Amino acid sequence: MQKKIKIALAGQPNCGKSTIFNMLSGAKQHIANYPGVTVDKKTSYYSTEKFKIELIDLPGTYSLTSFSLEERVARDFIINENPDLILDVLDASNLKRNLYLTLQLIDIDRPIALILNMTDIAQKRGIKIDAQKLCDLIGVYVVSVVGSSGKGKDEINKTIIKAISYPKKPVETTYGELEPHIQSLTNKIKDTTKTDHPPRWMAIKLLENDNQTNNLLKDKTELIEEVTKIKNDFNKNGAVTIQHFIASKRYNKTQEIIDKCTTKTKTQKQTITDKIDHFVLNKWLAFPIMAFIIFSLYQLAIVYGYELTNYTWPFLAAFKNFVSGFLPEPNFHEVPYLRDFGIWIVNSINALLNYIPIFLILFALIAILEDVGYMPRMAFVLDRAFRYYGLHGQSTLPLVLGGVFAGGCAVPGVMSTKAIADPRARLATILTVPLMNCLAKIPFYTLIVTAFFVKTEQALVFFIISTITIFFAMSVAKVLTLTVLRNEETAPFVMELPPYHIPTIKGVLIRAIERVWMYIKKIMTIVIAVAVVLFVLIQFPGLNDETKMQFNKKANIALEKFYKITSTTKYAQDLDEKHEVVRVLNLYNTYKMLRMNIKDKEDLHALNAKMLQKYPKDFRFIKSKDKQAKKINRGLRKLSNTQKRLLRQMKNLKVENSLLGMSGRFLEPLTQFAGFDWKINIAFLSSFAARESSVATLGAIYEGGAKEDIKTHMSAFTSLHAIAIILFMALTPPCIATMIVIRYQTNSYLWMIFATFYPIVLGLIISSLVFTIGTAMSIDGLSALVGIYIVAIVITIMLGFIKNKPISLKGKT
Amino acid sequence: MQEKSVSKITNVLAEGAIGQKLIDMGFVHGQTITMVRNAPLKDPIEVKLLSYFVSIRRDEASMIEVEKDPQKHF
Repeated sequence: MQKKIKIALAGQPNCGKSTIFNMLSGAKQHIANYPGVTVDKKTSYYSTEKFKIELIDLPGTYSLTSFSLEERVARDFIINENPDLILDVLDASNLKRNLYLTLQLIDIDRPIALILNMTDIAQKRGIKIDAQKLCDLIGVYVVSVVGSSGKGKDEINKTIIKAISYPKKPVETTYGELEPHIQSLTNKIKDTTKTDHPPRWMAIKLLENDNQTNNLLKDKTELIEEVTKIKNDFNKNGAVTIQHFIASKRYNKTQEIIDKCTTKTKTQKQTITDKIDHFVLNKWLAFPIMAFIIFSLYQLAIVYGYELTNYTWPFLAAFKNFVSGFLPEPNFHEVPYLRDFGIWIVNSINALLNYIPIFLILFALIAILEDVGYMPRMAFVLDRAFRYYGLHGQSTLPLVLGGVFAGGCAVPGVMSTKAIADPRARLATILTVPLMNCLAKIPFYTLIVTAFFVKTEQALVFFIISTITIFFAMSVAKVLTLTVLRNEETAPFVMELPPYHIPTIKGVLIRAIERVWMYIKKIMTIVIAVAVVLFVLIQFPGLNDETKMQFNKKANIALEKFYKITSTTKYAQDLDEKHEVVRVLNLYNTYKMLRMNIKDKEDLHALNAKMLQKYPKDFRFIKSKDKQAKKINRGLRKLSNTQKRLLRQMKNLKVENSLLGMSGRFLEPLTQFAGFDWKINIAFLSSFAARESSVATLGAIYEGGAKEDIKTHMSAFTSLHAIAIILFMALTPPCIATMIVIRYQTNSYLWMIFATFYPIVLGLIISSLVFTIGTAMSIDGLSALVGIYIVAIVITIMLGFIKNKPISLKGKT
Repeated sequence: MQEKSVSKITNVLAEGAIGQKLIDMGFVHGQTITMVRNAPLKDPIEVKLLSYFVSIRRDEASMIEVEKDPQKHF
């Protein structure tokens, strides 16, 4: 019988911990959040001969203080969940800093073993580590591996067995002149409190002035008094604080250990990382290189990914056809609710699934950039520009993904904010990424711009639209940082620039698929729920009896026309009743839909043969060489067109009368200052479900969908209207998918609601200002756009001069 | 500090969160650090210590007092 054990994988950032995790666990990984926070908790289950292992990947941390969320999560897990073993992964090429964490883990007094990773890199740098000696010095099992080459899995598992079966007692760090005080505090804690926390560790943490421990023991006045006294005495005597003293002791001990167990075979020369950074972080080359990387990312993921959707879309279309095959058939112009509903849901799902090729490429590329180690370099290069606006060097990637120049997506943008080390800047980034130009806004812009501006103006309008959003985003980030985010937690910018690594294919794929899966899992269910609500809002109350009668009349006229055609053929008998006509017409429509997805001649023949076999009688009218049947085919085509027109007209009337239409009208008094009529309002309201639908809705409401149609129907509109509409669209709230991601990334419904409503208010204010002032000054749309562009730039620059609330340099004590 | 100059940390003035973070990243009394480069926009800076590279904003770096080590050169 295998024994169940729980193992926690700990280690500093960039020590290759996730490579080890992937190596041990394979692809079967389970991701959740640690309770109540947005830190990912990766768990994997695997079995060895002796054990059933639950392996938990702790967040990578440099230390175990209570200042940062990740560190709190890591140590709370170790203390509360009481794992059977902690596996501490160390970067052998950077042993001193890595051992600093190890000594703290030993202080917590739980079973521990070390994985000495990246020994190949250390060797290249001339560092040779005697693992056995290290083992003796610290008193824990040590195993040397090279994670990047996948070597060492068996050795690790063997070490796990040894460490569990024959536990060793690690050597505690002693803290010099503080040691008697630590002893006395430890004893007092033992006597007075009952907690899972190891008493000696608590004593050390009290001296380090650790917030969490202080809070735990705040009732023990006697203890606190003693700590205060020790600190006061210590400060009187020495030049350094206790914090520094304890840290120095740890660093001294790591140095001692290193001196005893490592030998330097050669002195360090320039590493590859040094050489690459010489170019990548160069004063002149840094920006061109970054621009090139961002451009490639965009080109590969968005442009080629979009092309890839041409190949994946037929599968989604086939899925839709498959589903509609099970739904009740339409009876000419009367479509059953169930059919409408089913197709609506499938369309909503397909709209999101359509993005998966893009996301897959994008997430894979991001994983590569992360693993290579470029991300912190990007932050290093741009931090200064962003910091003025309350953002962070690490905000670069989220904003780029959101769509800096044209066509990004807020979903991966918001998801990638996870890396930002400063919580306040992270929130500011999450809240502003949706203001960027997402992919789905582009067709909408194109539609409006080509309809309202002459060719020579279009390029300028497009340029301004695609660049004005970054100024909006920066200004908004700054204003938020100065107001609502003022008191959010912030963190110092002390960021490691890790050595460059060649990423492993396995690691990249696991991460890309993991993130796509998270997108599908978390968003799909909610999108379906919202689609149901929207369906109800659009369908009800529906058409009144009088209108229905009118459409019935029109339908009958069309059918009569068709009978006239059939009556002259030998098939008159087969097609003289409505149910017969409807049956053939439905087959005609189905066949057309299936044909659309077929490009191959052979496939077409196969389809024809299958149809003929299935519907020997009816298929004659759809595909036949017989002259009279062809005549009917022409009649069917006309009838099908009439059917489509009637359905569209009915749908438009339905939308106008629907609850959604009513809200569009209801909002008109408010939106008139921005120049929006109720039809535009409806388009915006429906764009909320998924941006793509704004073009479709606008098309549906204004009939046809071709831009000429829209222009004639919008003839009352000027280019100033167009600009007001575009500006509002640029700032409209995030789509549902983005909202859900914001909810998960902030772990708060409140922020989600805020992120949804502030852009509406802001967009309405800006559009109204532009429209009202523009109308008063009777200027055209282009001048208004240039005007607001200049204003946006000026405001952005001015805001840059206002100082953010700084992190207190003294810190919270 | 000039690019490529080597110094020894004599004091870290920061306390609280920043102070702890600096300690945890290896900025402690007596530690040798090497100034590597400025960011292209002059801030932050990149320094080397404990055989790794770290970037730090000038605001935070200003709280670390150093003494130039005349013997060593990069």
